[in-house]
Amino acid sequence: MSTLIELEGITKVLKGQEQPRTILDGVGLTVNAGQSVAIVGRSGSGKSTLLSVIGLFDRPDSGSYRLDGQEIAKLPERRAAKLRSSHFGFVFQRFFLLKHLTASQNVAMALVNGQGWLPRRQRRSRVMEALDQVGIAHLAKSRPAKMSGGEQQRVAIARALVRDPKVLLADEPTGALDIETGTLVIDALLSATERGCGLILVTHDRDHAARMCRTHDLVDGVLTERVAAR
Amino acid sequence: MRRLSGRFRSSLIIGIQGIRARKLRTLLSMISLFLGVLAVVVVQAGASIAERALLADLELQQGYDGTRVMDMPLQQEATEFLADTVKGRDDAVAILGVSGIVGEPGVLPVNPGGAPIDQDWGPAMVCNDTGCEPAPGVKGQAVEVRLTALSGDVRRFRPFRAVSGQWLDFSTVPAMAPRLVLNREAAKAFDRYKVPAEMRVNGAASNVTPRFVGVVDDGDQQPRAYVRLDELTTWLPASRLADPNTGGEMRLMMTQGSPVEPVVSAKLKALGNEPYVFTVESRKDQEKQLALMRLVFFAMAGLVLLIGVAGILNVGLATVGERVEEFALRRAVGTPRMLLAGIVLAETLLTGLLTAAAAIGASVAGLKVVSMVVGNSQPILSDVQFPWEAGVAGIIAGLVAGVLGGFIPALRAAGIPIATVMRA
Repeated sequence: MSTLIELEGITKVLKGQEQPRTILDGVGLTVNAGQSVAIVGRSGSGKSTLLSVIGLFDRPDSGSYRLDGQEIAKLPERRAAKLRSSHFGFVFQRFFLLKHLTASQNVAMALVNGQGWLPRRQRRSRVMEALDQVGIAHLAKSRPAKMSGGEQQRVAIARALVRDPKVLLADEPTGALDIETGTLVIDALLSATERGCGLILVTHDRDHAARMCRTHDLVDGVLTERVAAR
Repeated sequence: MRRLSGRFRSSLIIGIQGIRARKLRTLLSMISLFLGVLAVVVVQAGASIAERALLADLELQQGYDGTRVMDMPLQQEATEFLADTVKGRDDAVAILGVSGIVGEPGVLPVNPGGAPIDQDWGPAMVCNDTGCEPAPGVKGQAVEVRLTALSGDVRRFRPFRAVSGQWLDFSTVPAMAPRLVLNREAAKAFDRYKVPAEMRVNGAASNVTPRFVGVVDDGDQQPRAYVRLDELTTWLPASRLADPNTGGEMRLMMTQGSPVEPVVSAKLKALGNEPYVFTVESRKDQEKQLALMRLVFFAMAGLVLLIGVAGILNVGLATVGERVEEFALRRAVGTPRMLLAGIVLAETLLTGLLTAAAAIGASVAGLKVVSMVVGNSQPILSDVQFPWEAGVAGIIAGLVAGVLGGFIPALRAAGIPIATVMRA
């Protein structure tokens, strides 16, 4: 399996306070294609910050970040936007669906982002394919207000999958869902790894974490592996 | 180019989605902008209509732009060579004017001096080389007109508007009874006073019986009758057409570069006279007249437009504030900052264009109604077409308002930190 993500000695310090606070302290992490990784930690332990760094929302203060073998720790915003579009799919705890758009339009949002242009027919076919992958193609014309939480999160997953990303980043995607629905959402995320997509899941739920290939604990900015690869 | 096109299309699609999602806000923005754009459209439409009307009147009186005009001092020797020089030419027309009285013989005209029919220019005068004195006799059934002899079709230089009948036909052999085309004022006089069809012209071999063949609008306030030069000179020696005692006129209208100009100038100089030559610049003249007025009105319209822009800006900033998460999410899925700014600008530009369309539509409808209601009493507004310049001005105003109103919200949208979605 090829290595998708390699983090070495990633440090992030929160400045602008009386005492600068180290959020990430020499974090190292490797994720291969088709591999799923859970990151577990208490609130405020730096999980979301780590995901921000990996997803190129934010830049590390020091350390090395290689994506597909290329060093991208100090990437300018324009290229970062391009990589976010081509390599990453994001799923958040709050689904962030635009309520004035239908499910298919919400998914298509990731395709209409100024990074290349797909004709309408191709766009529609890819959107339907993504919705089908998460089992809600029949809700394509529904608006978020008419959908359950689980359905909304699956639309968000379809949005993350529609560009066929290399890595899925999920920040507590089951946090707002009941156990049964949460399990369905994790199923949908794991099915993506079967097609070679890497998955990094930030979660508080031990059961969900246990379903991943590896689990890492993040404590006070230090990442340690808990379970060996299955 | 392909990338630009993709970004342009993306911003347009998302912009339209945004407008559809916030119809009420878009409507409020449009209302705040509507008066401003309408003011610009109305000012431009008014200026264009006034300009066209003014230009049409100026052309009627002075001639088309670019026409060369030569005014000559009255000189009897000049009339014959002038008539000979321009005879049969298309590029120059000689205009020779004398006073003529049509009506009952032996009486004074109702409008001495060829005055407009409802004005009193004082008593009729008789002038000779020693001076002028009141003419003897009493007013009767006669009308004095400025008799204007033409060597060719002057409409090439002055756009007379046909009112009724025909214009002078220069292609036929000259008629023995001179054919006259009256202007509106002369037609009014002959309509009011039923006079015998006998015409007296000072110096003519005898009184002649003219035939009225048509009426034109020449923009002149004085009663005037146009006649073919060759038909008039059947009865009146050409030299009498330059009689200073009858208030005559000698004018040549030509195209630019006509060879007639240097020839006539040289001949006049040889006779010891210097002609006054100028080029008609009607458009330039009227632009001077309208420039200041237009500036004042545009300044007022611009002010109203600015108030509208402030409205769009206000709504735009509020909308961006509400859409922070949406913009952060769009950045998370790879949308560049520039495109986010483009989305906001596309929305305000589309709002501006929609407003412009509404303002133009309202102006067209308004103009139609005004034309129908007051068109009969105000000729300038009868059958008037909506000027395309006003439409263009409206669209530009809408676009400018869209850019000005959307610029700051666009910058705000582009600056929203992406981590907003992580912290939510």
